[in-house]
Amino acid sequence: MTLIKGAIAIFRRDIKKFISTPYVIVFTLFMPIMYLVIFGNAIGGTITGIHIGVVQSEPYTVETPLFAQSVEALRNFRSAADKPTVFDVTIYPDENTAKLALARGEISGVVVFPSTLPDDTTVRVYEDSSDYAIPALMEGGITASVASTGATKPLAINQIYGKIEYFQFFGVGVIVMAIFMTTMMGGAFALIRDREQGIIEGYLVTPVKRSSIILGIIGSGTVKAFLAGFIIVIVDVVVAGIVIRTLDQFLLVLLVLAISSVGVTALVVSVASRFNTQQEYASTVAFFNLILFMTSGAFYPPQGMPDWLRWITTINPEWYTVHALRSILLRGQGLTVIGYDLIALCIFSAAAIILGIATYKRTIE
Amino acid sequence: MSDEEIIRLEHLTKVFRNKHAVTAVDDVSFDVRKGEIFGLLGPNGAGKSTLIRILTTLILPTSGTAYVGSFEVTKGAEDVRSIIGVCPQNSTLDLELTAYDNLDFYGRLLNVEDGVRDARIWELLKMADLTDRANSRVSTFSGGMRRKLEIVRAFLHRPLILFLDEPTIGLDPDSRFEVWKQIKDLNTAETTIILTTHYMDEAEKLCNRIAFMDNGRLIALATPEDHKRALPSGDLIDIGFDRLDERVLPALRDSGIITSAEVKEKTIRISARNGNSVLPQIIGIFERFSVPMTSISIRSPSIEDVFIHLTGRKLDSGEGEQPQPATRGRPA
Repeated sequence: MTLIKGAIAIFRRDIKKFISTPYVIVFTLFMPIMYLVIFGNAIGGTITGIHIGVVQSEPYTVETPLFAQSVEALRNFRSAADKPTVFDVTIYPDENTAKLALARGEISGVVVFPSTLPDDTTVRVYEDSSDYAIPALMEGGITASVASTGATKPLAINQIYGKIEYFQFFGVGVIVMAIFMTTMMGGAFALIRDREQGIIEGYLVTPVKRSSIILGIIGSGTVKAFLAGFIIVIVDVVVAGIVIRTLDQFLLVLLVLAISSVGVTALVVSVASRFNTQQEYASTVAFFNLILFMTSGAFYPPQGMPDWLRWITTINPEWYTVHALRSILLRGQGLTVIGYDLIALCIFSAAAIILGIATYKRTIE
Repeated sequence: MSDEEIIRLEHLTKVFRNKHAVTAVDDVSFDVRKGEIFGLLGPNGAGKSTLIRILTTLILPTSGTAYVGSFEVTKGAEDVRSIIGVCPQNSTLDLELTAYDNLDFYGRLLNVEDGVRDARIWELLKMADLTDRANSRVSTFSGGMRRKLEIVRAFLHRPLILFLDEPTIGLDPDSRFEVWKQIKDLNTAETTIILTTHYMDEAEKLCNRIAFMDNGRLIALATPEDHKRALPSGDLIDIGFDRLDERVLPALRDSGIITSAEVKEKTIRISARNGNSVLPQIIGIFERFSVPMTSISIRSPSIEDVFIHLTGRKLDSGEGEQPQPATRGRPA
């Protein structure tokens, strides 16, 4: 009987504590629902709106029926009758312009139609092979569209970045997760623990400034996050077979890691600066981790997500990090392509730091 | 503020609004003079710690104003923090750091110059008798060692004003004695000290002036001597008995040698000036009515008696206890 009595006492205590923290309850229930919504939509969803370019090869004399009919077929290509069209087709005046757009990442593939009609000439396809799912989808769609015109042209596929395994694709995405996880457990956690254990009461009565506290926490968190991200880069190189070709690339990767670490740490710290308990903090940050990682494109292209989720990617620092890292590591691109990502990350970091300082409570009420 | 005063409270009030409003500090006004040791006395929940937290800029008053140094605590919070040292009631040491690192961390936050910080830390470690444990984690320290470390940390930067919230709580008599010595030494160096305690002897030994707080209100403020002088009578004589003859009490009161006599359970408490000389006569009265005495005690009134006189109950009886609504975190 004493066994049962003791068990009941522990049970009662825990239930009492549980129902006295409504915030945590909501988030605990919210999490699986968000998983369902985000995972379900992100992965089960149909990928639509893939940007592709089409061009008719030189010498360009007249628009061939093959070209006209195939483009029409591509524009109307759907995975099912009730779904939106898969491709967003742009016609380019010449092959070089189209390939440049592909190299810049503005489009996912280029289809070059032959200007003469003999059956043995091929339809050339250049695809961005650094993406997941999209190359396969493009190949299927293009084959079907060309076949629908009655032509029997063979497809010549060129993977412009070579064959990239999912392992490598995902490996780059995991770098950003390492940064986030380290930040979650590192910098901001110290802030919450100080508050929860009452240590904060000791240093809040010193002349230390609110901004000093936040900058210090973000600084230490950034160093930890950077190291974690760097270790995953090494793992990617050693295990996943990602190649860093030049010193410039290596330095660019470090730059992206550093700016991303500041941004993500600042975000988590600004969330933490209002919370009093580890539970509240942990449930909120786990939610952030889920939504930011899912929409970062780290393991699935955001083109498959519904609009409202895709909208999140535009304000998601992890999206810019993943994009920048893939540009450098998988596509061998440089500052001209990732400059935009870096600017976005800097703006984001600055905003998060300001938010963190502004919301930090200098009193203990 | 005049040159004499270093802290001034004007109608300071703090109401905590959680499920129901709790008035922790209720319209308190007083001054603290430069260089004195000022004691805040009262039972648990009297509002002492809340008052200290307002004065140290940790919480905002609901109404009223307070000046620390020449700065108002809400508008000049940053200036206030630069002239105070605080030893809070609950431990705020970082248990994962060593004793030295704890002091070093605060030395940097408190802007102790790089050139003197190390020497100052060792000086304080020696004062706290922790020199040989300087590089041990604080988590391995006993309660007394932690408390001493926390106290010396408060005056690392030689603050103008030192707030000590229950500095000797949970310490053994030896350690308490050491802490008292430290406090007195500091005070000779012209540091003004504000001390909260619910130990009578501590307040009586250390403080130049004592303010009594109860239920958030200031109920009396004077020097220990003046507090005692305010008591209506001199010495206190307690005589225990098993069965009292009803004639004893009127006889005592009519004798003219005592100022008051009251029966409480199996004790009669008599107040009388010059207790030592009137005691034989009092015993004579008991013997006259053949009432056997089980015990006799005689003593001068203490600060505790002043509190009992003012509030009608003992200081640590726990009556009138209020929940401590201050911070989430370690239990107060």
